[in-house]
Amino acid sequence: MSLVTELILNADSEARYPAPKEIRIFQDFVKTGEQRIRIAKVLAENEQRIVQNGSARFWERCPNTPSNSGNERKTASCQRDQGWYVRLIAYSILAGSERPLEEIGTVGIKEMYNNLEIPIRNIAECMRCLKEEAMSLMSEEDAAEVAPYFDLIIHSLS
Amino acid sequence: MQDAITTLINSSDTQGKYLDDGSLERLQNYFRSGELRAKAAMTISANAATIVTRTTAKSLLYTDITAPGGNMYTCRRYAACVRDMDYFLRYATYAMLAGDPSILDERVLNGLRETYNSLGVPVGATVRAVQAMKEVTTEMLGAEAGKEMGLYFDHICTGLS
Repeated sequence: MSLVTELILNADSEARYPAPKEIRIFQDFVKTGEQRIRIAKVLAENEQRIVQNGSARFWERCPNTPSNSGNERKTASCQRDQGWYVRLIAYSILAGSERPLEEIGTVGIKEMYNNLEIPIRNIAECMRCLKEEAMSLMSEEDAAEVAPYFDLIIHSLS
Repeated sequence: MQDAITTLINSSDTQGKYLDDGSLERLQNYFRSGELRAKAAMTISANAATIVTRTTAKSLLYTDITAPGGNMYTCRRYAACVRDMDYFLRYATYAMLAGDPSILDERVLNGLRETYNSLGVPVGATVRAVQAMKEVTTEMLGAEAGKEMGLYFDHICTGLS
C-alpha cells in the first residue's frame, strides 16, 4: 500500500474521481520523489553502519540484552532484524505511507518478540538508537522525513 | 490493487532487498511523470460525461446495436451501457494515476467477459467503444497523456477479448 493506492481506493469506495484535495496531495507527493529516492539510498548504503553504531549505542544504555549476551547467533539475528526495519522504513519513505512498514513489520510485532522472549522495552530502546544513528547521516530535512517511521515502530512496541 | 511503487516494493521485499538501481530508476520516472498524470486525471474528471457522450456518438449510436433487436435498444439497456463506459473511464483513470493496470483486473475485468456473454452484450462492439474512448481522450489530453491512458484502455480490450 502506498499513498497513491490509498487515495485511489478512497475515491473508488465512493465511486468518484479523486477530489481536488487528493490530487494536490498526489502532486505534492510526486514532487518530493527525488528526496524520497535520496533518503532510501542513504538508508540502503548505510544499513550496516546504522545497525553497528546503533547497537554500540544500545548496549551502552542497555547492556543486559539478548544481542549483547555473548551468544553470536542471537546477536546476528537481532542485528538482522534491525537491518530489516531500516529496509522497511526505506520502503515506507518511497511509498509516502506508513503502510509498508505496518503491513510487513509492526502488525504483530509485540506478539512476535514476546514469543521470542526478547524484552519489548529493550527493542524500543534499540529502535531509538537506530533512529539517532540514521538521523545523524542526513540533512535536517531528510531526517525529519525518516524520524516518524522509527517513532511508529517505537509506539507499536509500547 | 498495486501501483508503480508497491509492485517494486513487494518484489524487493520477497527477496529481502532494498530497491535496486533499476527499480529506483523506474520509480524516478514515475515520480517525474506524476504531474502529467495528475493533470490528466483532473481533465478527465472534469469532462467525464463529455468523453462518454462523444464516445457513444463515435462508436455505437448509429449502428444496429441501438436499433430494435440490438443490445442497446431500450433505454434501460442504453443506460446500463453508458454506466459501463463511465466505469471504464474512471477505472482507466485510476490505473493511469497508479501507473499499474491491476485495479482494472481486480475491479473491472474479473468475470466481465462471462457477465457480458450471459447478458448478450457483444464484446466486439464494446471493444470498439473502448477504442473510440481512447481516441476521444487523446484528443482532449494531448498525445503524451493520451498515450498513457491508451495503455489502460488497451488493457481493458485485451481483458475482454
